[in-house]
Amino acid sequence: MDSTLAILAILDGVSYAALVFLVSVGLSLVFGVLRIVNVAHGSLYAYGAYVAATLSLVVAPISPWLTFPALLVAAVIVGVVVGGLMERFLLRPVYGREDVLQLLITFAVFMIMDNLQRLIWGVQPIFAAEPVKLLPNVSVFGVNYTAYQVILLPLVAAATLIGLRYFLRYTLAGAVILAVTEDREAATAIGVDARKVFLVTFMIGAGLAALGGALASPTTSLAPGMGADMIVLSFAVAATAGLGQIEGAAVTALMIGLSRAFIIYIQPEFEVLVPYLLMVIVLLVRPMGLFGVNRVRKI
Amino acid sequence: MLRFDHVDVSIAGVHVLRRLSFHLPPGSTTALIGHNGAGKTTTARTIMGFTAAKGSIRLAGEEISGVAPHRRPALGIGYAPEDRRLFSAFTVEENVLLPARVGRLSAAETKRRLERAYWVLPELKELAGRPAGSVSGGQGKMVALGRALMLGARLVILDEPFQGLAPVLAQRYAEALRRLRSDDRQIALLITESNPKLLESFADVTLTIERGEIVDGAH
Repeated sequence: MDSTLAILAILDGVSYAALVFLVSVGLSLVFGVLRIVNVAHGSLYAYGAYVAATLSLVVAPISPWLTFPALLVAAVIVGVVVGGLMERFLLRPVYGREDVLQLLITFAVFMIMDNLQRLIWGVQPIFAAEPVKLLPNVSVFGVNYTAYQVILLPLVAAATLIGLRYFLRYTLAGAVILAVTEDREAATAIGVDARKVFLVTFMIGAGLAALGGALASPTTSLAPGMGADMIVLSFAVAATAGLGQIEGAAVTALMIGLSRAFIIYIQPEFEVLVPYLLMVIVLLVRPMGLFGVNRVRKI
Repeated sequence: MLRFDHVDVSIAGVHVLRRLSFHLPPGSTTALIGHNGAGKTTTARTIMGFTAAKGSIRLAGEEISGVAPHRRPALGIGYAPEDRRLFSAFTVEENVLLPARVGRLSAAETKRRLERAYWVLPELKELAGRPAGSVSGGQGKMVALGRALMLGARLVILDEPFQGLAPVLAQRYAEALRRLRSDDRQIALLITESNPKLLESFADVTLTIERGEIVDGAH
């Protein structure tokens, strides 16, 4: 592998890792607090992408620069509206029930949302690449790459990581989320409304998945199935890091993003295999994940 | 202060509390004595709203059985569970202050209650900056009491506070309860315990619970 390909692989890996991190940290956050593995998390990623593309196509004729806030607005809409409705009416009735029931419910939600997505946006690919075109290309050691992917996406991921940690550590809402994560009953005994915490956490997690989808939408054609691909990969990242681990999800997303990118250039037929091979090896050696701890849950 | 009238609780099909009735007068220290499985912890959890209970539970004359669990601490009920259950993501002082933050107490009221907690439990001041996950079991019980005091303006429930405490720590804990009692003559304390001797020196009322029923001391 020559140096140009290596640089390309690194840039591919970093930009892809940024998207995977956003989705997997949302999945991890939801699991850490609600103890639910949300299979429909991938649908929230897909809805974020489709809503962002739809909004971008609407606002681009007014001003192409409006497509940037459109990405954020899409993430907020999907997180608050879709995430809020999903938590309130589909997940709340199954809290505390058997894990398998929760898994089946979220899987059913995933299938329903996938079908709804086909009904709303059809099956033809949708392109909304305006934000990528607006930013210039940058040269990294002589290799040209879009600033959107190599600067903006990693910056958003880093800001999300720092913002999330600050939110959880230094705000009352974050402290309350940490308290419920560790001990729901003890938190209730000091006046915390755990149901509200579940709702807000789920909306944040859903919003992060949707943000990943929204940010991915200008870089790819949107087609049915994109949610399924992402939930499997983000689950691999979250499980490899240890469910509930925020910083761990960032490191693992980078590790899996880079290894996936390198394998595409070296042996492309192993692209799908690498992340899951890594996950299996890690989980066999450390069942709680690379950064996970036994007993005490962290987020 | 607190009155249970014919309270029934079943957990997973097992009848744990059976028409439980008792009364805690204001300013009293009540010991709820019983063996393991007698229903002491379920009684404490029922006051906090963590069980599906039938019957009447009144606090200062107000029916609270329909009040959501997260709204009960704001009624002036503090609860220190048996297994301390501190939040390890925070320091000791952050654990103690969290109820005040959640209850949105004013800065002045928070300061007043924190000072009271430190006066009752001087050890907490020394531990203030320590991560809550790093304190010993006995110290953790002190922190849990401090946290309960931030909310327990009318009633403080302590579930088996002496269990597992080294004799020196048990003595300090008892001294803290005496300081609390001397500081606030109106506050009601409900302390569950399996060993009646531990509480006989400062309990005004002793209730004995067996198989979910008060068999001695109810009035």
